[in-house]
Amino acid sequence: MITLQQLSKGLLCNKTQLYGEEKRSRSLRGALKNPLGQYLLFGLILVVLQLVSSLGSEFGIRIIPVSFMTALGSTLIYSMVSIGFCLLLGYSGLASLGTAGFIGIGSYCAFFCFQEWGLPYIVAIMMTLAISIIIGVFVGFISLRIEGIYLAIITLGLSEILRYALQTIRATVNIDLSNIKLFGATIDKEVVFYLIVAVLLILIWITNNLIKSPTGRAMLAMKNSTSAAQAYGISLMKYRLLAFVLSTVYAALAGIMYMMYLRSVSTSMSTLFRLTTSLNILGAVIIGGAKSIWGVLAGTFIVYGLDSMFLQSIPLFNDNPTLITLFTGILIILVVMFYPGGLQQLFTLIRRKVIALAAKRREARYGRDV
Amino acid sequence: MTLFDNLASTMLGSLSSISVTVLATLAVTLIFKTSYTTNFAQGIISAMGSYTVMELLVYSGIPIYYGVFIGVVVGVLIGLFIDLAIFRRGRYVNAIGKQIITMGMVSILVGAIPLIFRTAGLESVNLMPVVELNRYITFSENITIQLNTVIYFAVAAVIVAIVFLLLNFSKWGLGVRSTASNEQVAGMLGINTTFITAVSWGIAGALGAISATMYAGFSQMSNSLFMTTIQVNAFLACILGGFATFYGPVLGAVMIPLISAFIGFVAIYVPGLSAWREVLVYAVLLLLILWKPQGLFGPRAVKKV
Amino acid sequence: MAEMFKTFRLTRLDKKVRRVKNHAKKRGIMERHKVVTAANRQIKLANKELKKSLLQALTAEEVFDIRMQKALKKYDLKAKWEYRRVNHGFAKKIFEAAKAGDTETERKLLEKNRAEVLALDSKRARFVLRWEEKKSAFVKAGRADESVAEKRRLQFDRQLEEQKAKLSELYEIKSGLAAKNIEQFDARTADKLKALSDKRAAILGRGRTELADDVILSVNNLCMYFGGLHAVDELSFDVKKGEIFGLIGPNGAGKTTVFNCITQFYKPTRGELHFKNKENVTVRLTDYSVHDVVLEGISRTFQNVEVIKEVSVLENLLIAATRFYTASVFEQALHLPILKIEEELIKQKAETVLKLLGLSTYKDWYAFGLPYGVLKKIEIARALMTEPKLIILDEPAAGLNDTETAELAELICRIRKDFECTILLVEHDMSLVMSVCDRVCAISFGKKLALGTPDEIQADKQVQEAYLGVSEEEGESR
Repeated sequence: MITLQQLSKGLLCNKTQLYGEEKRSRSLRGALKNPLGQYLLFGLILVVLQLVSSLGSEFGIRIIPVSFMTALGSTLIYSMVSIGFCLLLGYSGLASLGTAGFIGIGSYCAFFCFQEWGLPYIVAIMMTLAISIIIGVFVGFISLRIEGIYLAIITLGLSEILRYALQTIRATVNIDLSNIKLFGATIDKEVVFYLIVAVLLILIWITNNLIKSPTGRAMLAMKNSTSAAQAYGISLMKYRLLAFVLSTVYAALAGIMYMMYLRSVSTSMSTLFRLTTSLNILGAVIIGGAKSIWGVLAGTFIVYGLDSMFLQSIPLFNDNPTLITLFTGILIILVVMFYPGGLQQLFTLIRRKVIALAAKRREARYGRDV
Repeated sequence: MTLFDNLASTMLGSLSSISVTVLATLAVTLIFKTSYTTNFAQGIISAMGSYTVMELLVYSGIPIYYGVFIGVVVGVLIGLFIDLAIFRRGRYVNAIGKQIITMGMVSILVGAIPLIFRTAGLESVNLMPVVELNRYITFSENITIQLNTVIYFAVAAVIVAIVFLLLNFSKWGLGVRSTASNEQVAGMLGINTTFITAVSWGIAGALGAISATMYAGFSQMSNSLFMTTIQVNAFLACILGGFATFYGPVLGAVMIPLISAFIGFVAIYVPGLSAWREVLVYAVLLLLILWKPQGLFGPRAVKKV
Repeated sequence: MAEMFKTFRLTRLDKKVRRVKNHAKKRGIMERHKVVTAANRQIKLANKELKKSLLQALTAEEVFDIRMQKALKKYDLKAKWEYRRVNHGFAKKIFEAAKAGDTETERKLLEKNRAEVLALDSKRARFVLRWEEKKSAFVKAGRADESVAEKRRLQFDRQLEEQKAKLSELYEIKSGLAAKNIEQFDARTADKLKALSDKRAAILGRGRTELADDVILSVNNLCMYFGGLHAVDELSFDVKKGEIFGLIGPNGAGKTTVFNCITQFYKPTRGELHFKNKENVTVRLTDYSVHDVVLEGISRTFQNVEVIKEVSVLENLLIAATRFYTASVFEQALHLPILKIEEELIKQKAETVLKLLGLSTYKDWYAFGLPYGVLKKIEIARALMTEPKLIILDEPAAGLNDTETAELAELICRIRKDFECTILLVEHDMSLVMSVCDRVCAISFGKKLALGTPDEIQADKQVQEAYLGVSEEEGESR
């Protein structure tokens, strides 16, 4: 006689025999263990922050100031760039200092398409993507010929070319989005924030998928040993081009978003399209831990978000704005000196410590596991 | 003005730029050879030196000759600090980590300069040149050159000569060359690599301080990042000449201002070109580097599987 | 120039062939997946029904028993910590007392401990009792009709038999599908492929070489010059199907260069390399780029182990199978079902390979810090993932001790048998070469000295002079 327990254990229906079956928990906790659930929660928190901020300003209460939201928005924009760069540096092992130029491409495309030619959004974005893909392919081909630190400096040169070219074309760009409509409505800063969150989430999701698929593994193989990768059928050309195209496209998208959100850049004065930005993005990725998306987001927050979002409200830093830069620099150096795996490593260490502490406390109370 | 006059005067005009770039490039190369990293802080360390000179000149009235000496000392101290206090103390600092550290150093110094120097608050200032700007050496009717530029060039040439003599004939130079080829083996052979690297950082700091002081003499110190362009050029010069040798980068550094001057010369005759001058310069550099990735003066490397 | 154009056209043609094949394969996988998921759903439904009818067939008493067991299990899980706390606390005190020699306190503590444990025990007994009471009340209240229960039970037994038959049928369908070769293409795809292969033959023209039936790889007058250095000079040999072929020679003889030429890491200066690929078509290897050689059925290992250190061992094997995924980058970016199915299939394959090499324990380990012998094995496992016809081993025994080398020899023979592939190896370790190889080719300074069975090679004068002559003296001194 068969009993219920045996049946529920799967006497007839062995789980392993049901190949292709997804083991997914349906509870909320299970959903949060799934990366997609975590990303959605992250997006939800951001949207709620913006909602609270705009509701507060409607009723005249300063719960979350507008400046905070602006800083948050621009940090999110830089996060897009960092995530693209994480694919490039952390997975493909290609160092590039051309990021600033790629952001510039996106910004100027957005400017010309929206402001000068009055094209609809979708056309503008398509055009930007096309241009950035062409540049990405070009840099990808360069990377087949030149590697390592040399590649970084070459891309730095390329970025300079882009910056001077953009500067010569138009020294200052200002955008006025009131004429252009998205789904029949003009968009204000608040809507652009939601757009940024949506685009960021999509990019994170795509990156996460790529990392966990054969493409991500192929990139890692290429980073560690080009000869082993080639011996197993991984075409260096394909994956280097892919990595560069993806990171350029991400940076260009960030450029568009920057233009839509902050709406003006003076190329000759600002540091946005200069070496500083490229270095900051590189720093953000390294500080975060190069291979983890959450780490990279945290790194970008430290490099870009920390001062503009929190430190500026502290009087000491408010009086001496340059102290923030100094402080960020020290933080970067400390992280690199003592946690070469970045914040990712730090978090893992802390988590391990917490688990060990809990185990120790349990042992003190109940005795050692036998 | 004849064609030759134009060519000669544009080329002579690039002499000051050449002297600055050469010094900066030599500093970058020294550090790349001994620490295996590109020093992104080179520009800001140099700026620190020149701000010291400026501060002493404007507020303490110390003459520029002594000021330069103190500026050099400041450059040396920062260089030594980076190597001894940061690189040697970090637990697992690799090449990329070192780059990021120099980058963090940029942040620190950019933050620190306005706090330390009162002159950094001034909108844009010119460091007083060594001799008055209006003294010229005249070759012919149309070809003249500032005396200042000649002095700069002479100083740069002397310094480069000294560094090369040191590299080739001193014990330190031998140490640098052996550290450059393999740090571990050099260490095992009894060479004090820590000392060698530290001294290289010090010399790089000094070279940077001198170059920034010169650069401030003919351009403007708008903010603490005013050396960035020179630094970018120095990196490109290193790649252009090839990191394999010491003379390659220096020749590369001579070439970049010359290319720029030549394009400036062509721009006299082609209207509308002058706006695209920088773009063209970097495009030419990029093509040259793509043509010879190992550098114009470097040997070819064979990849082993 | 004409040669370059020809290679270019061939490469494009190959790409097309690959695309057509991938398309067909993808369709096959999806179709199979559909059938399998349908079968799975049916199996699940059947199970559900069975569970339901079983619940009906049980008497009320049995159902209550099951509930009680569950509750008790939960209770025990909680109580475990209580017991442990009590024991741990007393154990410390008792130990201290015993150390101090205070027998009185010790005895008292022991008694106290026993009392507390007994209290916990009685608590549990009370819990059980409560459930028993509940049960008896339940049974008294709703006395089930025994005859009905009996009838239901009989019905359930019949149902079980029926379901079992149905399930076995479903499983049969599934296993049949799993065994089905997805590479069997439908008529249209086959036509397309035929047309493409004709075109290929036309491009190659009349002058193409066909290898003899038993030859898999033929190296003909191979030359590789690095400037003035003649690393390989006019080398020719044939590798027969299913044999273990050894390539030996003193240091710097150009053995690895030969390998690099075969796998196209170096483009040979001169000479012909012909290979009979997976479809038994003779191809010229120089027409392929480095990363396409593996698709024709050649996979290699490296002299200095090139295992990817920052991923797990299983992922290392998956990396080797990158080209066997049909999902495009776009499909990967969106994680479409095709990728998940393929991932599952390839993971299964990787696990079988790992099991065969006895590496299953290391499956989820990071390759960083694993012992050298294991890394060497992982390299071989990785080579096996590409379904090779020819495996090229570059000094597999370097850095291994004697037992490991013996194990390796056994492994190489087993691989040849299980995977039906040919093995070409370069080796310094003469004991390995002489024990496993069917034929050996000795080279020196890029030139062939001799080719034959291991015994013949050992007897050869020239080889002894160039190579064994030195090691013979060493052998005597040992």
